[in-house]
Amino acid sequence: MKNLLTIMAGVSLGLMVALAGTSFGAASPIDPLIAGAKKEGVIEFYGPSTLGPEGAQALAAGFNKKYGLNIKLNFSPSGNMTRDTAKIVGMSASGQPPEWDIMVVTDAHHGSLWLRKLQQTFDYAGAGVPKDRIEYDSGTISVANQFALPTYNSKLVAAKDVPTKWEDLLDPKWKGKLGVINSTHHWGRLAAGPWGEEKTIDFIKKLSAQKPLLTRAGEMAQRLVLGEVLVSATLQDSQLHESQQSGAPLAFADQVQPVISPEYHVGVLKNAPHPNVGHLFVIFMASPEVQVIWKKHTGHSSAYVVGTDAYKFVQGKQVVYMKQDQAAKVDKISRQIGKILGFD
Amino acid sequence: MKVESRSESSVGVMEGLGRYLPQGVTVFATGLSGFLTILIGLPVLMVILMSLRTGFPGEDVPFTLENFAAVYLTPRTYEVLLNTVFFAVSSVAITLVIAVPLVWILMRTDIPFKKTIYVLLTIGILIPVFLRTIAWILLLSPRIGLVNKWLQGLFSLSEPPFNLYSITGMAFVQGISFVPGAFFMLAAAYRSMDPSLEEAAYTSGVGKLRTFLKINIPITWPAIAGVMVYLFMTAIAVFEVPAIIGLPARILVLSSLIFTSTTPSTGLPDYGMAGAYGAIMLLLGLVLAFLYVRLVKQGKKYTVITGRGYRPREIALGRWKWAALGFVFVYLSIEVFVPFAVLLWASLLPYLQLPSTEALSSLTFKHYIELPNHVGPQPFINTLILMFAVPTITMILSVLVSWIVIRTQVSFRGFLDTLAFIPHAVPGILMAVGLGYLGLAYRDYFPLYGTVAIIVLAHTINWIAYGTRTTNSVMIQVHRELEEAGRVSGASAPRVLGKIVLPLIAAGVLNSWIWIGMLSYREVTMSLTLLTRSNIVISTVVWQFWGSGWVPQVAALGVILILFATIVVGTVRFALSRIGEIGSAS
Repeated sequence: MKNLLTIMAGVSLGLMVALAGTSFGAASPIDPLIAGAKKEGVIEFYGPSTLGPEGAQALAAGFNKKYGLNIKLNFSPSGNMTRDTAKIVGMSASGQPPEWDIMVVTDAHHGSLWLRKLQQTFDYAGAGVPKDRIEYDSGTISVANQFALPTYNSKLVAAKDVPTKWEDLLDPKWKGKLGVINSTHHWGRLAAGPWGEEKTIDFIKKLSAQKPLLTRAGEMAQRLVLGEVLVSATLQDSQLHESQQSGAPLAFADQVQPVISPEYHVGVLKNAPHPNVGHLFVIFMASPEVQVIWKKHTGHSSAYVVGTDAYKFVQGKQVVYMKQDQAAKVDKISRQIGKILGFD
Repeated sequence: MKVESRSESSVGVMEGLGRYLPQGVTVFATGLSGFLTILIGLPVLMVILMSLRTGFPGEDVPFTLENFAAVYLTPRTYEVLLNTVFFAVSSVAITLVIAVPLVWILMRTDIPFKKTIYVLLTIGILIPVFLRTIAWILLLSPRIGLVNKWLQGLFSLSEPPFNLYSITGMAFVQGISFVPGAFFMLAAAYRSMDPSLEEAAYTSGVGKLRTFLKINIPITWPAIAGVMVYLFMTAIAVFEVPAIIGLPARILVLSSLIFTSTTPSTGLPDYGMAGAYGAIMLLLGLVLAFLYVRLVKQGKKYTVITGRGYRPREIALGRWKWAALGFVFVYLSIEVFVPFAVLLWASLLPYLQLPSTEALSSLTFKHYIELPNHVGPQPFINTLILMFAVPTITMILSVLVSWIVIRTQVSFRGFLDTLAFIPHAVPGILMAVGLGYLGLAYRDYFPLYGTVAIIVLAHTINWIAYGTRTTNSVMIQVHRELEEAGRVSGASAPRVLGKIVLPLIAAGVLNSWIWIGMLSYREVTMSLTLLTRSNIVISTVVWQFWGSGWVPQVAALGVILILFATIVVGTVRFALSRIGEIGSAS
């Protein structure tokens, strides 16, 4: 028995050593990227301005530490994501390389790039990125989630009047007291997802009949605070948190479902000057340490990463995420909705 | 002997050059015309090109009329056009109702505190229009407007008496913001008006108001009509007020459609549609420019300016002095005091609130202290570049154009004058869209996209019409005999321009330089259309702050800028008053 145990232990140890040897000996998918990144030495990084230079450099420090590199990160804060996305399309059309290696923009903007095949694909799953975070034919990964819900002035709206479902916004008592922000893609996501086109368009027509005040998100937060608008049909959590931090009486109508969740995606652009460091950085952006940095500097985290604020928020809720096959539909319906509401 | 011989030879060469001088001027004028044609023509050409294409700048796509069909076969376009015209007409009407009496009071009467009023008028220009708009929302919004609430309480009204969210409301805010510009444009006409008719009226026992309505206004009508057309052309292109007041109430005008086409909330920009909308604006602008030129020409027939040494007498207001001061005070309140008070209030709050005891107890300086965290030095540096480069280039080009138009016999000087005026027919937003398209589509040949230089270019083109109008008017006042004396003494044409003409018109040129610098400082539409991360200026920072909901921060920035500008403007105006009276060139 003792011998048998000794033999089994020896075989097990032998197997472990053999397996470990196999593991250490086989090339990891990121090894060539690390080697390539060392040669490239720099990354042109486009991201939301809310990240700020400090946040971007914190990402660079974490990246270099993780992979033992000394890559220089040049941060370009977004001035206008729509226009910069169009700029990438135009540059590609005229055969020029993009200004940036990677772009962190919303899933909708990456959708516009994906429809024109302007991201470089990579086997991110093979590099260990969870599959539920990979989108656009493995051209991007999801970094963080925003959430959009009806938002109200908690000083002026009594608890009993707070909307508990989307249809509550159509109650005649809100006529002339509602606001709608120009992020019409919020509704486009519902149309391409759980509501379908017909229900969404019908809802929007009724919402428009409520004569809502139309404006941009940041401006809407101010108008809510002032009481010009009592309820904004949707508002992103970033505006809500910012207002709450200054003591403003704004709150989400958090019983309303489904919750709309636009995402920040990161992807390497086609013909990017530094593709190796680009792909490696995208893989890094899927790591837990990025969640800490991203949350600290932008206020957002990923609903796909266990333990984050976003993860906790979505538990038990119906959430609408946009998938790549919905990109074209969301774009088309959002424009139609913009016209119905009167934005353009 | 040899030296003398060389000297004689030099004189001969100079005489020879002198004979060729007219040709030299013609060559120079041709070069300048060519340069201006390219400068002004390219963005306009881009707008036309844009309207005939779909897709993105840089994409190789065939020409199409698809955009025109989409725009002109939609009834909504005509509704928007009607809104645009109504908004522009109402804005101009409100401007003139205030500006004409104001200019009469300040130019023709003995009202006290004239210099202070001038400085306050200038400060009014420096308050960005949309900051002023926020102030008016706090006062006249049907839901929260303080004035509405006060009037409802006072007269037990069931409905708020004013609704800012209407074309009239938009026109009110826009019209008020045009007043200082109209004032300075009308000032010259009222200053140089022959007082004999007025005096005849007073001698006949006609009152001051009746004299103003029956004598002053008819005499200055061509100047007023010119200003009307000029402001109308500006009003159809403005963007801030339609965006902040019009859009929330679904009142769209052409400029808002062009802006949303190039900066949509969803998807990618539609440059083709922007170009097709722009074509209407361009056509409207050209018709108005034609009308303006005709009016100005007609105006010259009515000129009642007396000769040299003429100085109009100021009318003693007597007991009307207080009424006039009251009128000026009310205007300055709505133009400067109230917006500034609202800015100051907003800047001291943790978040924007209406006045209350609770709000008073939460006042803080934190937005002033934290301002450097939100704004780096780049917007300030870029704005300073604009404020220096735009007026300098504009005035250099304007002086050169005016010198050829007014002082030479070059056969195509009329064409050059018209060419320099054309930019005013092209709305700023369209000029910027055209330049942006040029930068994106042809970046190899025009590598300015994303730089401050492209904004400098847009502003320069936009204000060259204004620059040449002012330099034309000041240059025409300098008698030819001074230049002829210079020529007889053997000075070359450039030397005469530099040593005789320029010093004589310096006050006027400097005045326009300051004015254009201030316009460039506060301009937001073109800067916003051409905005990228590296060419951000203060006006676009303010706009972005407002869009992000950072009103207290933007208010703090506004207060600092206004105080700084007050000191600078006050100092410059004091210094300039030693050279020549402010506004003399306008």
